[in-house]
Amino acid sequence: MAAQWIRNAVPKIGCVRFYSSKVHKCTLIPGDGIGPEISSAVQKIFDAAKVPIEWESVDVTPVKGPDGKFGIPQAAIDSVNRNKIGLKGPLMTPIGKGHRSLNLALRKEFNLYANVRPCRSLEGYKTLYDNVDVVTIRENTEGEYSGIEHEIVEGVVQSIKLITEEASSRVAEFAFQYAQDNNRKKVTAVHKANIMRMSDGLFLRCCREAAQKFPSIKFEERYLDTVCLNMVQDPSQYDVLVMPNLYGDILSDMCAGLVGGLGLTPSGNIGLNGALFESVHGTAPDIAGQDKANPTALLLSAVMMLKYMGLNEQARIIENSAYETIKEGKHLTGDLGGSAKCSEYTNEICKKVSTLAK
Amino acid sequence: MAARSVIKYLRPKTVVPQIHRCASALSAFEIQHKTPTIKKVMPIPKAHYGGRHTVTLLPGAGIGPELMNYVKEVSKYFRVPVDFEDVEIDPNANDNVDLDYAITSIRRNGVALKGNIETRSTEAGVLSRNVALRNELDLYVNVLHCVSYPGVNSRHKNIDIVIVRQNTEGEYAMLEHESVKGVVESMKVITSVNSERVARYAFEYAKRNGRKKVTTVHKANIMKLSDGLFLEISRRVAKDYPDITHNNMIIDNTCMQLVSNPHQFDIILTTNLYGAIVSNVVCGLLGGAGLLAGKNFGDHYTIFEPGTRNTGTGIAGKNIANPIAMLNAAVDMLRHLGHKHHASLIQNAINKTINQGVHTRDLGGQATSREVVDTIMKHIKTASD
Amino acid sequence: MALLTRNICKVFSQVIIKYNLQTAQIGAVRSLHVGTTVEQEGKVKCTLIPGDGVGPELVVSVQNVFKAANVPVDFEPYFLSEVNPTLSAPLEQVSNSIARNRVCLKGILATPDHSSTGELQTLNMKLRKSLDLYSNVVHVKSLPGVTCRHKNVDCVIIREQTEGEYSALEHESVKGVVECLKIVTATKSQRIAKFAFDYAVKHNRKKVTCVHKANIMKLGDGLFLKSCQEIAKMYPRITFETMIVDNCTMQMVSNPHQFDVMVLPNLYGNILDNLASGLVGGAGVVAGASYSPECVVFEPGARHTYSEAVGKNVANPTAMLLCAVKLLHHVNLKRYSEQIRDALNRVLNDGKVLTKDLGGQSSTTEFTTAVIHCLR
Repeated sequence: MAAQWIRNAVPKIGCVRFYSSKVHKCTLIPGDGIGPEISSAVQKIFDAAKVPIEWESVDVTPVKGPDGKFGIPQAAIDSVNRNKIGLKGPLMTPIGKGHRSLNLALRKEFNLYANVRPCRSLEGYKTLYDNVDVVTIRENTEGEYSGIEHEIVEGVVQSIKLITEEASSRVAEFAFQYAQDNNRKKVTAVHKANIMRMSDGLFLRCCREAAQKFPSIKFEERYLDTVCLNMVQDPSQYDVLVMPNLYGDILSDMCAGLVGGLGLTPSGNIGLNGALFESVHGTAPDIAGQDKANPTALLLSAVMMLKYMGLNEQARIIENSAYETIKEGKHLTGDLGGSAKCSEYTNEICKKVSTLAK
Repeated sequence: MAARSVIKYLRPKTVVPQIHRCASALSAFEIQHKTPTIKKVMPIPKAHYGGRHTVTLLPGAGIGPELMNYVKEVSKYFRVPVDFEDVEIDPNANDNVDLDYAITSIRRNGVALKGNIETRSTEAGVLSRNVALRNELDLYVNVLHCVSYPGVNSRHKNIDIVIVRQNTEGEYAMLEHESVKGVVESMKVITSVNSERVARYAFEYAKRNGRKKVTTVHKANIMKLSDGLFLEISRRVAKDYPDITHNNMIIDNTCMQLVSNPHQFDIILTTNLYGAIVSNVVCGLLGGAGLLAGKNFGDHYTIFEPGTRNTGTGIAGKNIANPIAMLNAAVDMLRHLGHKHHASLIQNAINKTINQGVHTRDLGGQATSREVVDTIMKHIKTASD
Repeated sequence: MALLTRNICKVFSQVIIKYNLQTAQIGAVRSLHVGTTVEQEGKVKCTLIPGDGVGPELVVSVQNVFKAANVPVDFEPYFLSEVNPTLSAPLEQVSNSIARNRVCLKGILATPDHSSTGELQTLNMKLRKSLDLYSNVVHVKSLPGVTCRHKNVDCVIIREQTEGEYSALEHESVKGVVECLKIVTATKSQRIAKFAFDYAVKHNRKKVTCVHKANIMKLGDGLFLKSCQEIAKMYPRITFETMIVDNCTMQMVSNPHQFDVMVLPNLYGNILDNLASGLVGGAGVVAGASYSPECVVFEPGARHTYSEAVGKNVANPTAMLLCAVKLLHHVNLKRYSEQIRDALNRVLNDGKVLTKDLGGQSSTTEFTTAVIHCLR
């Protein structure tokens, strides 16, 4: 439906309005496993769409820092700090102790406070749910994942869930802003304030305050369990969801499950010092290098990035081409039930992009 | 600050313990789990949910399975809040997989009801499964409460003897070897730790159940060191219980006294092999193998079984085995778990059935097993209506 | 509207109390004989908490069915409510009644906003704590005749419900910064794990999945995971799997058939309960039960008061009836239990009389009457 609307809209707007003629620089972290393949697929499609972006590819393989701990190389950090924007493929979670998870490190480094995941049913890939169109926005810096845990006496562990007014207001306002910018109608705050009366109560209060600043957006409050229950029965009643860390983690994956898994859902992290867009699926080492991977998630993440940068025109063209290709169903990769190679799928999208971009 | 509040949170405030509210006093099962003499490595939570207990059922060989079915039937009929977990042990197996599983299952549930398990395999690595079960679960004491049934025709009336038997060591240590061809040595092991535990159990039992006398049965005149140790320790423990008379008797004399004047005995405390002999003698006095039930008791687990450990393979499947012993074991089990109401109702039904003369062939009657069970169920029904 | 509810509840509980007084006297005489408070034979006594929202309506429906089927169960009703504190019976009294009867049928209690009570513990939490109802079991099974996206779902969700995030230990350390403590203890984790495995053994299930988030909460959920692993060693004949909670929700909506028995800490359990209920037809059709060592409280699996439907006679009594079926099964009244279950299945299968949430047009009373008609 939306795709159709976009198709109609595109010719009317007519001549391409470039956000600016300036070429943007973007950090690219190809990642591990299938990461490099799908990254180059995205680059190829971007070239076809003549997106004014120059990629700055960096390697984030952990190196031993001056303090003896393994961490991200300084060059990578500098690059993202300079460009303020990045695209990241899947990273292998290193097993063993001694170094922080790279995702966590990046999140800390760039103060990525909000995680945005739009989940939309794709025409052409049939799942049990065909009317999903929700965006989950998750607070990403505190809550249950504060990392403050200790064993008080043997066999008794306490972990602290931390909710602050600052972070809650920040993410709540972001959610409403996002809804406004993306023509969304409603924001639902997901909470469990019936049980965690103070902490989730604080979060809820911040959401209510933010809601008042955006009178045009509808606001509602729902218990986490109610959302879970209703989401699997009728996902269409939700639009934008905003919630604390853990709930977001759970709900965003669940929504991804509704539309066919993490291979199709993009994800963006918005921070104070920049934004990082990524595909959240695994590295799939078993099919790495075999030209079988599905680049959709990373491509849609890149589209989100374009929208974030204000390059809406290109974003629409690419998004539209991707949806169209999946809908036609001729060039689908293995995970979507097709037999096409990653390159064939990419080429098909490129072809569509070039026609649309003219 | 936070830590303190958590500790406060963990310490229950003034919650009335569940058990006090539930009218009944602590069941033996509760006591056993609250006061183990040796702490478990990891305390295993009890299988007690919503008022129902889970119990491992080892049907064993011979008449075991059919008797177990009667137990299940009666339990179901009478709505006993116990769930059974059946564990079959293949008597022909040459490995211990089934046995290990049975042991694990008992560890989980804490309580088992068992028939006699047959060990047909002659492989050296395959232990007698009954013994292995007791050793593995450290069921150091076997208790057999022998009471006369007025309705059973026997030479002695009004016998009431409790036999407390060491259950894990002594002659049953299973350490045997042929040192020279034609010369076999078998080791008998007596340890002060185990002797003390069993003696302590016997005297505690006497104290709790208002019994007056404990008799230690031994053969210390011949086996001066081993049985001597057992005797010495029981004397030492006896000093802690001044209200209870303690005497001792040699095993051969005991057997003679038992058949001539059994009423002089109250509690008999003895080592493993003598215990086997004495219990069979007493069971014989009361009316055979099919009546009495015993329990094997350890710090963490209890197994209930018919008092004399016979499989009865010869009469299996013929509908003539006496179901009373197994039902009595089940009654003991219910009492142990704290289901006193159910226990006493079934107990009464059993007593009535026996005393009105519904006997299987081993007691000189004509009834089939089925008839006995039906009569019991009928009594339960009348009692509960 | 609130007034209406209050009146319904009042009238309702008065009637029951009157009715119960008579039977209580008979019961007292009889129990002199037996010598124990629990009567296993004859009539079974059961505590009844209608709850808030549509609870009272659903309970009436259960009582009508029980009456029609001549079920030998005496209810001992208590009105317990946090939103209506003036009418509510004291918690102590209610929990003593449950401890005595050992079974209870309960509707859902609504929780008012924190700001209005100022208390961190909800009434539900207090009740669970005072009775040590540590384990919640929700059997999520596709019902015949209820059309859903997923077919043949059959899994059991077992949830620890006395600790974890629901500790009610919260404080504002600095203005604008709230800390909420999540407590995980080895004892309780092992206890729930053992419960789950014992449940699996008893019901012939093959697999237990432990759901956690130990990759992030390494100590807290790590302890839960470790406890489950330790207990799993004692069950060599049951497959043990672990799964991270976010992945689990994703798997649940895409392929729920891979799950058998699941064991979860408090909050995750709450999420999965509702999620799974949604898969098979919503909050109106899934029954649950909370176990302590001594007693069982049967209540709907997904806890929603559905207060917007109060008095409209549209709520679906299926969940409550299924709770009652489970209750009868638990107190060994298996014949009645099967009778009511059959009747319920027949009504659902026919599909002629269905409540609104299942796509029908009928009212609560019509549905109940249909079930009664189908009793054989």
